[in-house]
Amino acid sequence: MRSLRRHRDVPELNTTSTADISFMLLVFFLVTSSMDSDKGLGRKLAPMDEERQEQRDISRDNVLMVRIDADDRLYCDDQPVTHEELQQQVESFVASRQTERYVVGVETDRKTSYNAYFQMQDAVVAAFRSLRDKMARHEYGHPFSACNDEERQAIMDRYPQRISEGGLVR
Amino acid sequence: MSRFRHRRPHSVPGLNLASLPDLIFTVLFFFMIVTHMRLVQPQVRYEVPQGRQIQKDVRKSGLVYVLIGKPVDAQGRVLSDEARIQVGDRLVEVSEIGAAIDQERGRMSDEERSRLTVSLRVDRDTEMGLVNDVKQALRRAGVLNINYSAREVKAAIK
Repeated sequence: MRSLRRHRDVPELNTTSTADISFMLLVFFLVTSSMDSDKGLGRKLAPMDEERQEQRDISRDNVLMVRIDADDRLYCDDQPVTHEELQQQVESFVASRQTERYVVGVETDRKTSYNAYFQMQDAVVAAFRSLRDKMARHEYGHPFSACNDEERQAIMDRYPQRISEGGLVR
Repeated sequence: MSRFRHRRPHSVPGLNLASLPDLIFTVLFFFMIVTHMRLVQPQVRYEVPQGRQIQKDVRKSGLVYVLIGKPVDAQGRVLSDEARIQVGDRLVEVSEIGAAIDQERGRMSDEERSRLTVSLRVDRDTEMGLVNDVKQALRRAGVLNINYSAREVKAAIK
């Protein structure tokens, strides 16, 4: 029995089309995949409940008012500014405060475009990031991104991002 | 010359394609892992603004998309110029956002719920009045982590 079998060849599986099949799948995933990864500016909103809300008296000296009017013009303490100037002003404002109880107040008109608002947010975030980076380099000798949690916390305590959009009562 | 003439015409050896499927499968698996299926079909047209300071949002779980833009039909025709809000897969009014968020919340696991983030994909021409209304509605719904979706500014050519 054994000797008879030995002569028979095992037929080979034709795998020529595997490549085509997997190409099909590949193309399917290429088409359906959304490569637009979620990128954006992360923000935290103030909680709504009354107990957690704190009324704070902040002296007018420690408030930087950023305003965008209905025609997307940007004002910083009622002076018209560009985004670069805004970044500079926020930076020097925050750096010159001795207290951490400063506030960057943001005011928009109902007709302000979202794009203008976003660019403003971008500039403010850039200002804070640059400040934190400077402090990290000065104190620890490496950029903010290379800091450990403890150092990061210390820096964030010194330069908290205090942006108020709730409308400040004078 | 005679050296060449004496050579027998030999056939070109066939290319061994045995490993081609394996190669393609590798690429395929890469795409399968990297990709995440588009879960919601946008019913509004929006173009997010561009920013320089944006970060990649690593957490995909617990993410709820709130889209604001001009409503479009299935063929992509703009239906009206008035901006509408889309939460999940349907259009809602500002007053209905809380309920819509709660509905999305109900589908999540506890872990996802604890780090619920709303990704705001807002058209750049939207008026801030509407955006602020949405933000107030989100605060009322208890969603405090938001993310202004944006694209990276292409580096300026100097």
